Amino acid sequence: MASAGRIVPGGLGYLRPPGTIELAAYGVDLRGKRVADIGAGEGRLALGAAAQAATVLAVDPDRSALARGRAEAKRLRLRNVTFREGAAQRLRIEDRSFEVVIFSWTL
Amino acid sequence: MVDALEEARRVLVDRGVLVDARPDSRVTARVRKGSARGAIIGTIGSQRPTVTDDRMSDRAVADVLGRGLFRSRRRGRLWHAIPFEDRRELQDYLDDHLRFSRRVRWRVPRSRRGGPLFVERAVRFEVLERR
Repeated sequence: MASAGRIVPGGLGYLRPPGTIELAAYGVDLRGKRVADIGAGEGRLALGAAAQAATVLAVDPDRSALARGRAEAKRLRLRNVTFREGAAQRLRIEDRSFEVVIFSWTL
Repeated sequence: MVDALEEARRVLVDRGVLVDARPDSRVTARVRKGSARGAIIGTIGSQRPTVTDDRMSDRAVADVLGRGLFRSRRRGRLWHAIPFEDRRELQDYLDDHLRFSRRVRWRVPRSRRGGPLFVERAVRFEVLERR
């Protein structure tokens, strides 16, 4: 495996590392890309991707998680992130509209 | 699971990438003493339903790769390091956890389990390219 053994910091507050750190570990270039984070929860990775991506769509069935994500995006003054209710099995998204899709803890 | 992967492919442009990241129940979590680099003093397995679910996810990914919907560009494993003040806090965490076993398999006697602990949890990821 490419990154076996690499350790990234988590924490009890979120149990998983900051989105920017985890995304960097995946080695996917997000610069200027349209990114969809499916099963985004409160948008940890979506918000992390927003610094580089052109646009980010965060999709999750949990409305309360989406509300927290929206509030955090507002606090961070991120204007290129959109939160939308939905399920991974039936996305209300046009065909071929994203360069990157993220499934984190989704399958 | 396969239907979610097919949906991801539908919304991706040609040669767009899907990142699939999940906890890796094939590898036990490690309990380290003192710091994220401390000695391993225990391990934590996964609950049986979790292992079954993870195998189904693996099969779903294998299915879409086998059908030529994606090709695998990169795979890897990360370790998330989660700090705990002490054994009691770790046990509280495990008592509520949906994936981990409830008990640590300790490698050291009780007298050497005190103080801060770190749990390293394996996360596997695969970068798939739309074909």
